Amino acid sequence: MISNCSYIGKGLAFTLELTFGGVAIGLILGCLLSVLRHCRICIALINGWVSVIRGTPLILQMSIIYFSFPSLMGVKLSMLSAGIISFGLNSSAYVAEILRSGIESLPKGQFEAAQTLGIPNFFLWKDIILPQVILNILPAMINEVIALLKDTTLISVIGGMDIMRRSQIIAAEQFEYFMPLCTAAAYYYCLVLLIEFVGRKIERRMGYAKNS
Amino acid sequence: MLKIHNASKSFGSTRVLDDVNINVAKSEILGLAGPSGSGKSTLLRCIQKLEHLDSGSVECNEKTGFMFQDFQLFPHMTVLANLLYAPNLGKKNTNCCKNNEKRAKAMLKNLGIASKIHEYPGSLSGGQKQRVALARSLMMNPGVLLCDEPTSGLDVATTMDVVSLLKSIGETGVTMVIASHDLDFLTKISDRIILLREGKIVADMKAKNHKNPVDYLKKYYA
Repeated sequence: MISNCSYIGKGLAFTLELTFGGVAIGLILGCLLSVLRHCRICIALINGWVSVIRGTPLILQMSIIYFSFPSLMGVKLSMLSAGIISFGLNSSAYVAEILRSGIESLPKGQFEAAQTLGIPNFFLWKDIILPQVILNILPAMINEVIALLKDTTLISVIGGMDIMRRSQIIAAEQFEYFMPLCTAAAYYYCLVLLIEFVGRKIERRMGYAKNS
Repeated sequence: MLKIHNASKSFGSTRVLDDVNINVAKSEILGLAGPSGSGKSTLLRCIQKLEHLDSGSVECNEKTGFMFQDFQLFPHMTVLANLLYAPNLGKKNTNCCKNNEKRAKAMLKNLGIASKIHEYPGSLSGGQKQRVALARSLMMNPGVLLCDEPTSGLDVATTMDVVSLLKSIGETGVTMVIASHDLDFLTKISDRIILLREGKIVADMKAKNHKNPVDYLKKYYA
């Protein structure tokens, strides 16, 4: 039992690498996409990207990146790289949408108040709009990280040795499914609790009496 | 000081301002009255350049300050930070910043909210937010202060406070244009009242020249 737990636990680092690699790419690309959305030439392109990513299964996007990239571009990606890239690209579309809703939820008066005080655009975004947007979207972003963590189980389809894949290996070897799968569930649940805890801490730290 | 010349503005097919002409003298307190949708707020927003006129012009040779009906304080900044952010922008650790801080603290003390200096806007009452918004506008040293419905949502006692506050600001030589549907408030504070209806000026009067200015203005509402 202990050796099974430790074998499954060895997939923890791989799962975390996939999750945080994906989140990092998703955040950077998502921010970039929402900034470029304000540029007229890019709107159609970005809307198309978001629509395609949201309209196709993640497992399919990952398969395209892992299986077809070698023949298309002559590049063989490792499972970890293919996973991080596909989770990151997938997440970017959702992050861009979360940011869009966060910006649109701010009252127009905040922009106007800054304008009447003569605050330049750069400072308006940096000091007035973004701090409020970040607080507004924090719960949705925590959800996105949790969803991404759970989506990393799809890496087992291309053979990645994450928590899920390891539990399946044990189950197949020992013809016993309940305990290995419950062990994997416990690992994922603990990770989710940890992310929720950190999220709540950040929210509390950034929190202020809103209702202005 | 402030000249509005043939100002017209439409939203879709609705004409909100129709050929409005107003001259405001220095240090004058002008009240803009009128029913809802008469164009008071739009006129203020056009003066502040938050809206663009379809035709006509606004000439103002002084800096303008704007007080929003819903205050629009920055909710993630304390009261003091709300006051200091714009005037201190780009001036790190200079004497100017220190002077601004002294001025902000003195202003908050005068407005009776010195104890709220480190609180966030969300924990303030409507009247306190009103004062912070007023102080924030004044920190920019405006020559013309535009106030959009400064007493909306305030109780009678707080409204009286706002009257005396705005009067004391008027006495310092700041020109003010105040839009309000509250005729009683406007007659108490304004040197002159203009009544707008469907985007047109229907009355332009000096409150002190009338025995009962509220009744006089109410006739135009009918």
